[in-house]
Amino acid sequence: MGQRAVSGDTEHDFGAFVAARATTLLRVAYLACGDRSEAEDLLQTALERTYRNWDRVRHHSPEPYVRRVIVNAAISRARRRAILRIIPVRSLPDTPARSADVDLRQVLMDALRALPPRQRAVVVLRYWEDLSEHQTAEVLGCTVGTVKSQSSKAMAKLRMALGEESVEGVIGNARA
Amino acid sequence: MPALEDRIRRLMAEETAGLHATPDLGERVVRSARRKRKRGVFAALAATVVVAGAAPAYLTAAAGSGPTPIVTETPPPPAIDDLRPTGRPAEKTLGDLGDGRQFGNVRVGYLPEGLQWKRWSLDHGDSYTTSFDYKGDRNGFYCVQIFVHENAAVLEIDDRVSVHRQEGEGEEVAVGDRSGYAVVQNVGEDGTKGTPTFFLNMGENRRAEIMFSPVYAKDLGSAEAVNRELRKIAEGLTAIRE
Repeated sequence: MGQRAVSGDTEHDFGAFVAARATTLLRVAYLACGDRSEAEDLLQTALERTYRNWDRVRHHSPEPYVRRVIVNAAISRARRRAILRIIPVRSLPDTPARSADVDLRQVLMDALRALPPRQRAVVVLRYWEDLSEHQTAEVLGCTVGTVKSQSSKAMAKLRMALGEESVEGVIGNARA
Repeated sequence: MPALEDRIRRLMAEETAGLHATPDLGERVVRSARRKRKRGVFAALAATVVVAGAAPAYLTAAAGSGPTPIVTETPPPPAIDDLRPTGRPAEKTLGDLGDGRQFGNVRVGYLPEGLQWKRWSLDHGDSYTTSFDYKGDRNGFYCVQIFVHENAAVLEIDDRVSVHRQEGEGEEVAVGDRSGYAVVQNVGEDGTKGTPTFFLNMGENRRAEIMFSPVYAKDLGSAEAVNRELRKIAEGLTAIRE
């Protein structure tokens, strides 16, 4: 049926969905916000919202819905924090990329955290979730053009962070 | 050297490989959602449950005749609402509503042309709902669905509107001397433009949630038509008893 029940015994289906997909969604949340504790909180918040709408969400595909809530909540929180200056915005790491993968991971995560929230979300959706530009635009509620420009700027910064391009080249790209 | 995109993917995969959701996450979400929904009603009850759990120790200590009570980190017992149901309850309906214009404590004064009652409803006490479509087909997709949330259920609706407000989704809309909030909810209809919804404040203890299915919204042709029809339904929705 295409209608939502007020409530009911939906715990079983919802529990099965969470058991199957929560780890994947937690990883999306972590990449979107850059902090494990916040990722867990984001995921729980998104799942609570999903649970409230479960009788309708379940008939479609719940995972894109949860992902959309996670990503947009991550952006929203990051912006609020920036406005309130609760967490100072980090700057891009000064050190060039190092060869060891563990160091590169740290460099990447620092660089991701330093990106503006929407740019970070674009990177996660495009290169972690493998969404198309159109799908990414739908999730973020923006135009495909915005996705393209945000992605280009974000990738330029990540390229610099990972030591693939000179600072001058990145600044040029980011301002393009 | 692999493309930058591939390096980012690989590093992301390595960075997140050690992350795993806790096994009880689903249960915690359900409990939390229920607590929020019921907090108005159960706040006093939950306090009573906790105090009741501690009561024997306090009574013993006060009497001075037993061992000193030991304070432990044991969490309080779950609220009654958290107990898992032992079986699927039968769904309660509002019965035969005739033309569906009057259900529960409200009356639908206006319906868009061509719609009729779907012969479907659900009644969960503080929340109840029915819906309308073109054919009166209880098994088909709805065009318009109206939820009414009363008393304790009002809290959950206010929470949901608050979330929309915080996220900058939707807008405040006055309907006569009543307030409302119009928003397009995304409740799983990926690939569509979402569910146009109007939350109507019908007094301190009642909220209505009027929703158009994405398909019906498309039938109406334009956002202006959707907003106009939603607003007209809200205007015509009245309480028949307090």
